[in-house]
Amino acid sequence: MGDGQADDLELRKLMTRYQRADPSALDELVRAVSPPLLRYFSSSRFDRNEAEDLLQNCWLRIHRSRDTYRASEPVMPWMYAVARHTRLDAYRKRRRLAAREVLVGAVPEVLQADNPDVHADNFESMISGLPDAQREVLIMLKVSGMSLEEIARATASTVGAVKQKARRAYATLRQVLGKDSGNAR
Amino acid sequence: MQDETPDWEVERRLDAWAASQPPGGISPELARRVQDALKPSLTPVKPLPPQSTLFAAFFVIFLAGSAGLIAIMNKSGLHEMTPAQIGAVTLICAAAGILLALKITAEMIPGAKHNMQLVSILTLCGIGVFAIFATLFPWEIRGDFVAEGWPCALREITIAVPAAVVLWLVARRGAFFASARLSAALTALAVFLVVLPLQTQCMFLQAPHLLVWHAGTAVVLIGLGAVIGAYAR
Repeated sequence: MGDGQADDLELRKLMTRYQRADPSALDELVRAVSPPLLRYFSSSRFDRNEAEDLLQNCWLRIHRSRDTYRASEPVMPWMYAVARHTRLDAYRKRRRLAAREVLVGAVPEVLQADNPDVHADNFESMISGLPDAQREVLIMLKVSGMSLEEIARATASTVGAVKQKARRAYATLRQVLGKDSGNAR
Repeated sequence: MQDETPDWEVERRLDAWAASQPPGGISPELARRVQDALKPSLTPVKPLPPQSTLFAAFFVIFLAGSAGLIAIMNKSGLHEMTPAQIGAVTLICAAAGILLALKITAEMIPGAKHNMQLVSILTLCGIGVFAIFATLFPWEIRGDFVAEGWPCALREITIAVPAAVVLWLVARRGAFFASARLSAALTALAVFLVVLPLQTQCMFLQAPHLLVWHAGTAVVLIGLGAVIGAYAR
């Protein structure tokens, strides 16, 4: 996000025009908002093709729920809230399909600090191993560049709860990195 | 002893990881596909009313529902209660009504500000109800605990379910992203709408009866509401 208040005011005006059915506002919004949303999907365990499908699905949801946006509120947390639901539904669908396909065995979802299989040379796998809620906060914080307040709005949570998730994610990463460097010695 | 990596190192790794994420630029074809898919259905929409108006709508339904039920229901329990008992139950119901109406309003608008987690609201209200029932009402069992209890639970379910449906009708416009949380909050508001009327007509004002048949039924209903919300997605 990070492009400041001026951008947000511009986006609010575009959203208001979009709600009034101005086609040029829709065009401008798609151009302005799609890149950060696509980056958000790409960072969330989806490949480029899946992320583009999710982006299209997300725009359909944005379109159907555009009456729930109010001009007094910031635009991007609203957009990310819709994107988040799109992503969660895609995860659920993927899990349902995986449950049907995989009969034996399970992929470990949660990263444990004492898991010897996780190494610091693959930071991506460490991030992937974090619980989904913590990983989501890190993606929004670091990849999307959102503030804690914006993340709280996008995830229907409080700032305190977001801070706690970030703290836990940092603590787990600190531990795993520390353990790995200890093993390397 | 296990080493802990310093914060700056974690921060550095995270920044490097964030920078390595795929860029978000979209192709002109993708942008056109999205625009073409949406334009045929691009019609003017009326934005949701302000949060204060939505809150007022939920709270008025809560108050009117509660007052209406008290007016039409048998008031035999009301005459048995002390002013402290009536005051405490009214106070906890009003507090729960305000907090839950605020929460529902925030839940139905994507990207809205949330001041309190639903679980905190339910825990606070639950502790309040438990404290009131456990300290202000006698700990005794008179008569047949089950035979006298289940009609109260049934009455609570019979009133709370339609109340939850009415609240859902108000919330549905913003409930495109219906979640377990919104559904649980709606059910909780419906349950608190019933608490006072049920109390005013109940003849068995003892702590065990109130905790098991009134509060226990409420907990089950809220849990069911959450489950229905989760599966309705």
